[in-house]
Amino acid sequence: MKPTFRTARLLLGLMAAFAVSLPAYADITLGASVQETGPVANTGRYYRDAYQFAVDRINAAGGVTVDGKKEKLALKMYDNQSDINLSVRQYVQLLSEDKVNFLLGPFDSSYVLADSAIAEKYQIPMVQGGGASNQIFSRGFRYVFGTLPVASDYFGSTLQLMKQLRPVPAKVALLYADDAFDTSVAQGTEPKIKAAGLDLVMNQKYASNSADFGSTIAELKSKGVQAVLVAGHETEVLNFIRQAKSLNFDPLMYSFTVGVPSADFRHALGKDADYAFGMTPWLPSTTLKDRWFGNAADFAAAYKARFGYAPDYHAASAVADVETYVHAIEAANSLDPKTVRDALARVNFESLYGPIRFAATGQISLPQNVIQIQDGKVVEVFSDRLLAKPQYPMPGWAKR
Amino acid sequence: MQLFLQVLLNGVLQGGLYALMALGLALVWGVLNIVNLAHGAFIMLGGYVCWALFTWAHLDPFLALIPTAVLLFALGYGIQRTVLNKVVRGPMFNTLLITFGLEVVLTYLVQLAFSADFRTINPSYSGANISRFGLTLPLVNLAVFALALLLTVAMWLFLLHARLGRSIRATAQNLTAARLYGVEPRHLYALTFGLGTALAGAAGGLYGQVSQLNPYIGATLTAKCFAIAIIGGLDSPLGVIAGGLILGVAEALTALYIGPTYVELVSFGILVLVLIVRPTGLLGRAT
Amino acid sequence: MKRTLLWGVLAALAVAIGALPWWGSDVLVQFGINALLLAALAQSWNILGGYTGYASFGNSVFYGLGAYGVAIAMVQFQWSFAAGMALGGALAVVFALLLGVPVLRLKGHYFAIATLGISQVMGAVVANLPIAGSNIGLVLPLINNNVLFYELSFALVVAVTLVVWWIARSRFGYGLIAIRENEEAAAAMGINTTWFKVAAYALSGLFAALAGGIHAYWITFLDPGGAFDLTLNVKMIIMAVFGGPGTVLGPVVGALLLSAISEVLAAKVTGVAALFFGAVIVAAVVFMPRGMADVLRRWPQQGWRYFGLNMRKNRL
Repeated sequence: MKPTFRTARLLLGLMAAFAVSLPAYADITLGASVQETGPVANTGRYYRDAYQFAVDRINAAGGVTVDGKKEKLALKMYDNQSDINLSVRQYVQLLSEDKVNFLLGPFDSSYVLADSAIAEKYQIPMVQGGGASNQIFSRGFRYVFGTLPVASDYFGSTLQLMKQLRPVPAKVALLYADDAFDTSVAQGTEPKIKAAGLDLVMNQKYASNSADFGSTIAELKSKGVQAVLVAGHETEVLNFIRQAKSLNFDPLMYSFTVGVPSADFRHALGKDADYAFGMTPWLPSTTLKDRWFGNAADFAAAYKARFGYAPDYHAASAVADVETYVHAIEAANSLDPKTVRDALARVNFESLYGPIRFAATGQISLPQNVIQIQDGKVVEVFSDRLLAKPQYPMPGWAKR
Repeated sequence: MQLFLQVLLNGVLQGGLYALMALGLALVWGVLNIVNLAHGAFIMLGGYVCWALFTWAHLDPFLALIPTAVLLFALGYGIQRTVLNKVVRGPMFNTLLITFGLEVVLTYLVQLAFSADFRTINPSYSGANISRFGLTLPLVNLAVFALALLLTVAMWLFLLHARLGRSIRATAQNLTAARLYGVEPRHLYALTFGLGTALAGAAGGLYGQVSQLNPYIGATLTAKCFAIAIIGGLDSPLGVIAGGLILGVAEALTALYIGPTYVELVSFGILVLVLIVRPTGLLGRAT
Repeated sequence: MKRTLLWGVLAALAVAIGALPWWGSDVLVQFGINALLLAALAQSWNILGGYTGYASFGNSVFYGLGAYGVAIAMVQFQWSFAAGMALGGALAVVFALLLGVPVLRLKGHYFAIATLGISQVMGAVVANLPIAGSNIGLVLPLINNNVLFYELSFALVVAVTLVVWWIARSRFGYGLIAIRENEEAAAAMGINTTWFKVAAYALSGLFAALAGGIHAYWITFLDPGGAFDLTLNVKMIIMAVFGGPGTVLGPVVGALLLSAISEVLAAKVTGVAALFFGAVIVAAVVFMPRGMADVLRRWPQQGWRYFGLNMRKNRL
């Protein structure tokens, strides 16, 4: 009986401690829940750092002009520890308790799929640069915008390049992980392979986070596959390449949706990374001009100087999201969510990431550039035309 | 036919590593009745230690296994002596809970120290292989397999014949009697647990060569080791070899003939079936 | 007199917690929903683990079944939430009845690992089921009504706690406790242990499933990893054990306390929150292995010596 009194006092004390509300922010606050820790953190950090970088740079240049006054941007970020359920709760907290003005997104389509539902529920815009899968944009949501290009189109330019290679790869295999993004990619790529007149001999789904591709590689070898297209995650692609080497599987070419643009991927594989094809909607070139960063090359250098590692398209996409809000807010000349939402739908400007313009579904349309690792360096090989000579066919492992 | 043989070969080689991974768990469980939910985290730690020695001290990864095992032994001994010995005689699931807590702590400590980036142990000979009769034999996997078998048989002989090994078995069977014979149980428990973590560490170093490391692989590795240990039976290290091989081959064949997304279903399905039908494992003594 | 005072305090507390949406902030309501669902899970585990002595490490399988029941019903068949909950609950009970008999023959560690294995198998099965959205998962219909979810969760906790209270003083409950203390003796005394155990398993599973259903609809998103989450199993056990297994209020208190600690850590210390939580678990098991309920019961006599005495009892 006495224990229950103590329990009661304990509970009451806890409840009192929690009844305190936190103050709302005076600046224009952007809220986000990103993967700062947990298994996805090594890509999540691009978003954490890029959002901060963009906000700092925009504030240093004066901020955002609304109603004739200059307002500063503020950032409220939570670490979702690579847990989708936690990220959903954090977005609810951002909106209901922290009362941020607008939302930025997490990395990865699976998270965006869940978190964007919160934005739509509360009718607050979310501009995200981490989710590309078609499911996100096929729900008729009005408040969600995305700066990663359509998933089903990721291999489009690669297939165009493949038709120009000599000899054209005779047998093609498509491997994809079973998450939202990669199944979107596969669903879009399969018809494109057939339309390109290539022979798809193997179309296989594998479990996300797989470490062992032995059976798959053995099957690829026995079918005499000459080109492998893989839609998956960095760790899986890494395992695939290493196991391909130790099982002596050397197709004429292979192309991956992730990994190739990022420096620590190339570092982990060393010379084994050579000849791999990949794709990126962004390269740090001087031709992409930006209002706050000069151009993409300057941005990349400044980013590396500040954070100690080179940015890739994830970071550029994240910066573009912040810039998009500035443009939309200034065009709407208001902070009202519905008005800003309409301005977002009409936004159209050049940034270090490329031209920012959303389709009716809310997703951007950017072509993927085909890149290849040649002698340890990333070379842009094909966008809509041949830009550099691809190293093809890939020499056998023994001959490298 | 060749495809089947290649996949079978892959499965067998993988099975050797699986056996070594689960050996420490089976030892600690079978002897001390401690189910170590942090076992996978120790494998992960061993992998990182080996990686660090390889990357910073340029030690050959196979040689680096020795200091890795020693370090992990010391760590395991320490943890058992200071933390686990305090709860050993409490209700069973307390050890499950405390080792789970340990797993969380170890995972996040490693994440703080090494970041979430994945690491690979990639010596110059990593992709070496021999191709004959249409089959390819990856040499590193073969070395891992041979080493794993060697260590497992060594452990079996140790438990059977060496004085310390027999003390360990005696303590497991009858604590009071062992005490009467002069065995110091706290030291012995810690020694056994340390042995378990040393084996886990060695397995981790090998794992880092054939797969890659990040701080979060602990939980899935633990689950897999449970399956291996149970399938083979906890009574003998040879059972663990059987369990490892069975699981390795089953997974490889499932990936080929049913589909790679069904591998986990089959692994844990076999675990559940074995538990329901023959809990002491396929090679264990039936009770 | 003292008993009525006790009942009065409990009732007042219950009303206060139940009325939280009207006096607490939005974030407190969010926290409340999460904490109450965890309390319901801890309490449902208590039926099987606390009273019957079968420490299941796979109750998340029922949570997942309940969640998927609701999700599939609402997304694929356009049923109502209530119908979805009924489906989820039915799935859980059928599953418990089918698997209960073989699995409950195992004891101790083997039972724990078997339940863990079953949970993983179901996760893998669902990840290959197109009707469940395979590994991508399902997005449920949007509904913006936190008060509804809060009250549903609260009602669930009250319901399962009442069931546990009833168990604690019913013949059914005495049977379960007998099984926990000495199963062979219980069987010898004529208790049909299989029936009792399966009933406890099904009851435990039913409430876990209902919690899963509420959570799925609240979060509006469900995937196999989240539904059959490994760490969720351990969380519900930790909370029940922290509060006091085999007691009526223990798991609820444990769940609310640990949730509070976890939220505070996540909000203030972000990066190392999980680390601290792991350390809290280790410390709790070492110093208070029989839970808060036991601490509160013995504190008046033993005070701080309680922790030392405990350790001396359980250590080698």
